[in-house]
Amino acid sequence: MSILEPIPPTVLSVRRIHAAHPSLLRSYGADPERHASLGLVTCDQDDPTYVALDEATKHAKVDVVFAKSFYAGSAHASGRLSGEILGVIAAADPDEIEEGLRALVRCLEHDACFYRADEKGTVAVFPHVIASLGHYLSREAGLPAGTSMAYLVAPPVEATIALDAALKAADVRAAKIFPPPSETNFASAWLAGDLVACEAAALAYAEAVVEVARRPREDR
Amino acid sequence: MSSTRALMQVLRARLGAADPLPPPAPAPEIPPPPHYVFPSPQMMGRYAEKASAHTTALVGIGHVGTRYATDVVLQFQAELAVAHQAVATVLPEDWAASQGLIGLQSRVTSHRQFLLRPDLGRRLSDESVKALRDKAQKGVDVQPILADGLSAVACMGSGMDLLRHFTAACEARGWKVGTPMCARYARVWLEDEIGQEVGARVAAILLGERPGLGTGDGLSAYIVHEPRIGKTDSDRNMMSNIHARGTPPAQAAQKLAMLVGAMLDQRTSGVGLDLSSLAAELGDAAARAPRAPQQRVRLVEVKR
Repeated sequence: MSILEPIPPTVLSVRRIHAAHPSLLRSYGADPERHASLGLVTCDQDDPTYVALDEATKHAKVDVVFAKSFYAGSAHASGRLSGEILGVIAAADPDEIEEGLRALVRCLEHDACFYRADEKGTVAVFPHVIASLGHYLSREAGLPAGTSMAYLVAPPVEATIALDAALKAADVRAAKIFPPPSETNFASAWLAGDLVACEAAALAYAEAVVEVARRPREDR
Repeated sequence: MSSTRALMQVLRARLGAADPLPPPAPAPEIPPPPHYVFPSPQMMGRYAEKASAHTTALVGIGHVGTRYATDVVLQFQAELAVAHQAVATVLPEDWAASQGLIGLQSRVTSHRQFLLRPDLGRRLSDESVKALRDKAQKGVDVQPILADGLSAVACMGSGMDLLRHFTAACEARGWKVGTPMCARYARVWLEDEIGQEVGARVAAILLGERPGLGTGDGLSAYIVHEPRIGKTDSDRNMMSNIHARGTPPAQAAQKLAMLVGAMLDQRTSGVGLDLSSLAAELGDAAARAPRAPQQRVRLVEVKR
């Protein structure tokens, strides 16, 4: 096993509700006036799923109405299918949900994933670059849709040092910074800039995480 | 392939991890788009198809997934282009003279102004009032007025046809018909001033109607008894969709003449006009039975 190998996410469930009950729609943040169908996904990696949900909004007329990480991550899941996150997309008809789920699963299986930051696989990093934001993450980040964004996640100490490195490495600005602990005890940051700047920031971030993982104690 | 994965490969090389990454999961085959989904041959003859044969409205047009089929979209765009074209066309200044009509113009001076200022399109320019006083016959029973309205294409297309048939139908009933004339940049209410000027008992303006999808060639006729400036829409009777696929001009002219006849008899028009006795006289035109199906004119053909 070597560094920066992808850790492929496992999609644990993909389900649809063609005509959801209005009460259910409302309680999960959907609008019964505009939404009738739901698509539900659970996965053992939360941040790749947020990216994949956003990807779905670029392929179909769907809205991400619900997306929440579960406490302490997939190693402490409440059940075999719980994983680390439940994401819910809503649309006016089942065909849109179908198209959205297809894009979502494609993104999880072929694009967004964590990477190993050390040889033993005990530290994970998510240095993901989104070339063009869909309307879900753009709303969450307060950026215009179509902006490039670096979506950076690592464990607390690695994330702190790596974020500093990333901000200094390229002409990017912090759209949002989530200090530790997240629900899954990670820390993350969303950096915006042009695509090249986002890529440079993601590279610097991953490199710094690897460096911290290799030499955690500067006092020795 | 993931762009982030490509980035990580660069970084691995820089950090001295030269061994190749495990191969990415094979990308799934993306199925080709459906050739054409609906109406499939099995669906033909069903209710939607039967219903769609009775109207030019967009029903029974099928779908591909959640979208329209390509030929439907192309047809829609072509029909919209026909409508745009009709609105944008300007009646040439010398067209009236070339058809042997008195040429009149409203107070509008440009096509753009015509679209933006309906009020100016309802009054005659000073020169036109003068021309009307000089050339037009006064004290007539019926004054027909051809006009461009919102579709000069329709006016130039079947306008003369309708005017001739209408004039003939009126003369056959023994009425004194006014000098034929054609107004440019005209709105419906222009007939009030013209009719008042020539002292007509009834004024009928035949003008290009607001184009709809695929119908840039439709004419409408608005008829008013005792035309005076200040008459409103409730004082008028009208007939629309005068074109080959709707009511053909020859048939429309008969119906219009009967309307005029009713106005002359009852000395009123608009909401006050009682048309209940006309049903029998109008025959085919007033029949209550379902009208013959309108066939949609296909502007675009797509191989299926």
